[in-house]
Amino acid sequence: MRRMLVTYMTLGYPNLESFYKFIEKSVELGTDILEIGLPPKYAKYDGPVIRKSYKAVTSWLKDYVTPLKEVRKKVNIPIIILTYLEDYLSNLDNFLTILHELGIDGVLFPDLLIDFVDEYEEYVSKIKGKGVKAVLFTGPSLPDNLIIKASKISDIFLYYGVRPTTGVIIPVSVDSLITRVRNLVQNKLVVGFGLNDFNDLRKALSAGADGIAIGTAFIEEIEKYGIQSALQLVKTIRGILDEYS
Amino acid sequence: MVNKDLIPKYWYNIIPDLPKPLPPPRDPPDAEFSRVELLKKILPKEVLRQQFTIERFIKIPEEVRDRYAIIGRPTPLMRAKRLEEYLDTPAKIYFKYEGATPTGSHKINTAIPQAYFAAEEGISHVVTETGAGQWGTAVALAASMYDLSSTIFMVRVSYEQKPMRKTIMELYGGKVYASPTDLTEFGRKILKENPNHPGSLGIAMSEAIEFALDHNYRYLVGSVLDVVLLHQSVIGMETIAQLDELGEEPDILIGCVGGGSNFGGFTYPFIGAKKGKKYIAVGAAEIPKFSSGKYEYDYPDTAGLLPLVKMITLGKDYVPPPIYAGGLRYHGVAPTLSLLIKEKIIEWREYKEEEIYEAAKIFMKTQGIVPAPESAHAIKAVIDEALKAKTEKERRVIVFNLSGHGLLDLGNYESIRRRVEK
Ligand SMILES: Cc1ncc(COP(=O)(O)O)c(C=O)c1O
Repeated sequence: MRRMLVTYMTLGYPNLESFYKFIEKSVELGTDILEIGLPPKYAKYDGPVIRKSYKAVTSWLKDYVTPLKEVRKKVNIPIIILTYLEDYLSNLDNFLTILHELGIDGVLFPDLLIDFVDEYEEYVSKIKGKGVKAVLFTGPSLPDNLIIKASKISDIFLYYGVRPTTGVIIPVSVDSLITRVRNLVQNKLVVGFGLNDFNDLRKALSAGADGIAIGTAFIEEIEKYGIQSALQLVKTIRGILDEYS
Repeated sequence: MVNKDLIPKYWYNIIPDLPKPLPPPRDPPDAEFSRVELLKKILPKEVLRQQFTIERFIKIPEEVRDRYAIIGRPTPLMRAKRLEEYLDTPAKIYFKYEGATPTGSHKINTAIPQAYFAAEEGISHVVTETGAGQWGTAVALAASMYDLSSTIFMVRVSYEQKPMRKTIMELYGGKVYASPTDLTEFGRKILKENPNHPGSLGIAMSEAIEFALDHNYRYLVGSVLDVVLLHQSVIGMETIAQLDELGEEPDILIGCVGGGSNFGGFTYPFIGAKKGKKYIAVGAAEIPKFSSGKYEYDYPDTAGLLPLVKMITLGKDYVPPPIYAGGLRYHGVAPTLSLLIKEKIIEWREYKEEEIYEAAKIFMKTQGIVPAPESAHAIKAVIDEALKAKTEKERRVIVFNLSGHGLLDLGNYESIRRRVEK
């Protein structure tokens, strides 16, 4: 079975032209699912690299509709929007309707099961009711029974973040974390949050992850060496995933 | 010769057994630097790994168990028979005596593993801050056990008021400085504004972290963070075994709360094993965090250098009144404990200085031990529960954690005597 590469990129980073290029080429190089970050007011669970990318684009990116329309035209794989529910509490219906009309496949709110855990099922119904898929985000600090329940209603896959924040490589035992969660999840399991060390990647795949989500590593690569180099990294990671097919 | 087999082989981690997700630590909205990332430079690697682990049981390294034996673990579980008689209660009262360690409180339980993990990583020097002096003393001793140097930033007022605390830390080989110092940029800035600044825990903590970062030393944490409660679980694990040996089933478990480490360490293994019917966390009425605190993201340290954690808090800038239980003068409550209180799995009480002074006196009179003023809060709740058992004619088993003795707090007892007994 092909292991999924979920490629994350902040909408419009580092500029529109390079952003489109990265997205298109990364799909050619083997990205299975695109995760696109809409800058929130407060990136509660993101690390410094992704936060910086949000900051960089918010100074000029005032409208998310046009670039998302463009991305939808350019690629034909599933697109998931990553942003924080907190920002859309007052106009969630409207936001979901727009996403649906744009042909966006799903949304992932990392704060849903943490800050809105008492109402998460209502939110999930609401999202699905608008024709948008709900991809749920879980992590090590969630109790087992919540992970089991969430995994059953999560669309496309269940996201499991191994670290408390994106891109900060806190030492954790990737293999034991994933071995544990693998047994709880009857769904496709995609693992992310601070996964960019190739060893950790291999450990995650050996422990049974169906896919890997990478974001910070691509942004850092773009920051330091440019788009070409980030695309090279997509290719390398695709290669690692294919070792486990 | 202590039978080392009686020392637990595992620490207990409550995270996987919580009823709801534990909100993760985060950076503030407009962070100029990432505090979560900074943790990697501040804490020993293994300490950081344990801070974020979700394993239910974590093996205690043999080297740490050896040191636990040296400081007198397992600490005694004692029956407060004379207190029962004095109260004329049908309840049985037991206490775990953490004051029996050389530093006189439970703080050594986490200082040892933190120092050990630092030494294993090749770190030569550890740094911390201390207010009342309990934590600094524990760090100085733990560091000396692993041949590490230690530097302790002690809040200036305490440094001046409690010279004996400084002496004991120095006897253990610690270097003690009255904070604010001119050793750090932060300290120099404060001193420039006010050369006679009395210091505060927030300033001392900022200095300790800056000093550790500057020299590539590591910082040891005294309470609040999950990993500290994890190490303190050795208290509860032992107590479970000791009660089993006596054939007792506990009904009520009680402890005092500053940051929550001795309380969590004592009660969590019981909660995990579904032993006990009622758990009572006791704070000081003068620092009313349970009754007036908000459950929200806040900094564990006054300076705001550590990541935000979701907890019951009076706000990091809250200035606690100078009550005599220095260890309870803390603005927040450990995140797991906050969550368990919110979910009503753990109850709380708050008592005033006069009330706990009375309780301490009763305990001294009946059991002979001068309790740490912090621990006297637990005693007050024990007395209330024992009297309630009497009214209700119920033979309940009450177990509490006597987190420390008060022999280095005699100055505090002296001052409260003057205040209360006018
Ligand atoms: C003897 C004693 N008990 C209790 C405490 C309270 O701290 P914590 O709630 O973290 O155990 C302290 C803190 O200094 C202490 O010294």
